Amino acid sequence: MRLKFLLILLLGSVALFSCRKEDPLVVDDISGLGGDTWTQTALDKWLYDTLVVPYNIATKYKWDQSELDLNKNIVPPKEEKVIPVMRSVKRVWMDPYILQAGELFFKRYSPKLFVLAGSANWNMDGSITLGTAEGGRKIVLYLLNDFKNKTMPGYVPGDSAVPKQMFHVIHHEFAHILDQTIRRPVEFDNVTKGFYTADWINTDDYSARQDGYVTAYALSSPGEDFAEMVSIMLIEGKSGFDDIVNSITGTSVRGTTAAEAKAKLRQKESLVVNYYKQAWNIDFYTLQLRVRNAIINELY
Amino acid sequence: MNRKNYFNIGAALLISCVFIFSACKKYDTAFEESPDQRINTALKKYESALTGSAAGWNGTIRTQNGSIYHFHFRFNNSNRVSMFSDFNLETATTARESSYRLKSLQTPALLFDTYSYLHMLSDPDAAVNGGDYGVGLASDFEFSLDSLAADSILLTGRVHGTKLTLVKATQADFDAWQNGRWATTLAFENINNIQNYFRRLNIGGVNYEVRINSVTRTVTFTWIDGGGNTRQFTTSYYYSATGIVFATPFNTGTQTLNGLEIVSWDAANAVLNVKVSGTATTISGATKPLKVDLSAPQRWWQTAASSGGYWISFDGFHVNGVNDAFNLKSIPNYYFVVYWPNYNPGSNDLFAPVFINAAGNGLELLYGAAPRAQFTADGRAVFTNLGFYPPYPSSGPARQSLNQLLLPQGYYFVQTSPSSYDMVSSTDAKAWISLDLVQ
Repeated sequence: MRLKFLLILLLGSVALFSCRKEDPLVVDDISGLGGDTWTQTALDKWLYDTLVVPYNIATKYKWDQSELDLNKNIVPPKEEKVIPVMRSVKRVWMDPYILQAGELFFKRYSPKLFVLAGSANWNMDGSITLGTAEGGRKIVLYLLNDFKNKTMPGYVPGDSAVPKQMFHVIHHEFAHILDQTIRRPVEFDNVTKGFYTADWINTDDYSARQDGYVTAYALSSPGEDFAEMVSIMLIEGKSGFDDIVNSITGTSVRGTTAAEAKAKLRQKESLVVNYYKQAWNIDFYTLQLRVRNAIINELY
Repeated sequence: MNRKNYFNIGAALLISCVFIFSACKKYDTAFEESPDQRINTALKKYESALTGSAAGWNGTIRTQNGSIYHFHFRFNNSNRVSMFSDFNLETATTARESSYRLKSLQTPALLFDTYSYLHMLSDPDAAVNGGDYGVGLASDFEFSLDSLAADSILLTGRVHGTKLTLVKATQADFDAWQNGRWATTLAFENINNIQNYFRRLNIGGVNYEVRINSVTRTVTFTWIDGGGNTRQFTTSYYYSATGIVFATPFNTGTQTLNGLEIVSWDAANAVLNVKVSGTATTISGATKPLKVDLSAPQRWWQTAASSGGYWISFDGFHVNGVNDAFNLKSIPNYYFVVYWPNYNPGSNDLFAPVFINAAGNGLELLYGAAPRAQFTADGRAVFTNLGFYPPYPSSGPARQSLNQLLLPQGYYFVQTSPSSYDMVSSTDAKAWISLDLVQ
């Protein structure tokens, strides 16, 4: 009796397990699996040969909304702008670092993905964002369609604002990567301690400088302050940075005198220079000269 | 064996049956193929349709705000698309190549993935398309493929819901773009190049004043009806291969017009040759309004004087086809030019450029002129200058603007809204200034 009972149960179990689905190893041809594909053009080949093969840096110039803010109206870049922009990026950012610190250094630490957009990223308040970066890996450059350097017809000095902002963004983000790999000196955070604020957006660059910050954005946190110091010093060059420091006059609303502000900026400058030497064995002033000369060749 | 055992066996059987009949059932599929197979099939079908039309596709786009634009697309099988568009004269004349991709984005989707004429509608920079900053004309370049018929494809924009219709083009359609027929149509916008403020179209012996806004693509007709009353009709328009089409047909009283056929633009004489219902006629400049608004100059003056307000213009005078003809914007910190009725009560008005102050947080007057307005019986205002608030410059943009204001023949006034007027030179209507009330 008991045996029969068990047999019936067994039968039921067999029925249960015999119900297996078909071979799970048969997988459909999933559309888009492995990334987007398209017929390669000369532009794709140039990007591959110039950036992917030597440095493993990918450039995404075709539209992919998922790489950008989903709630913004942004358009993709004009194809004819991609090579001039990436060529300038190479001359102003990659080449100086490679010459100064070597290829191995650059390959190891460079961000690996550039995403390009044709228009700016318009914010609700009417301001525009010209560059963003994520996690030391991806840099988004905007406003490619307005990019002009002095080799292009119809270039006027006013056109330098867009490329200069691009170079600023890239150097800023790369400074973050270096900072996150070998941390900036603790003393740096103490130089203008106490004034860092999330409300930096309501400050202009000049007022920030009166307190010893190189830009308004530098007010947002010590980490951003460091990246802003590095990028402004590089893109403005030594004399440009000196001009910024010397332009400070008067006493800030927070009570910092011009002399104090200047001293603080100078102190940050020397901390940055020492950091580059000690952490990366890079002579900052030579690097600065290379970057600034590249920008001058590009824009002036 | 007792009853209890039978009961147990019965229960066990029942449970087994439940296992057998429920667990063993294959899941239902509404389709014979898997989702991936179906999406790949759909994408292939669309791709072969898109690339299969030798003369390309006629595209009609209706943006979120209802404007209609026409495109011509030729897709090839290596992700390239060549385009014409009736967006402007250049896009209608020169084909531009960019890239496209078919991609599965939950539904089969068509992406125009590098900048093309299509993106000009979506560009968030309003300087490109005259839309709003941050949005442009609220159009799309990423579309879901809704349906495919033998010679048409319907698509819907994935962000703004723009409707795009693709209809298989004939060789004649393609030729109309290539040989510049659409460019001729777009010559309609040249009526903005007629230097006179007033532009007139004669239909069957009746004169119509025509004003167009080529950004919003609206046209306004003004005419005098049999009873001597001023009538007005405004409609949005869109282009076709032969001319413009009115979104709302224009009933003139004697006939209903669906649009205008555009024949040619005569740049030498600044005349647009058109056909209305097959009859050739022209749109050309005129020096006087159809009916002078006799009380407009006084109304204009009084509106500001009685509310303590003043009239401003950012662009200054438009003269002989040139905006800001005297280059007021070249004066450092220039903000706008002001005409202030009754500035010195009972005595004189004020005409002056206004500047942003050094701190950048306020406006300041550095100098001014003290004109007075007189009103003629035939509906003009004539300005005479009584003196200055020194130091008024003796040359340059401010002085040239003042000289223009003091034109001896004076100005007609055209009210464009409750708080704005256009002041038009009565000599030839080739100089005017648009004034907005500030109070």
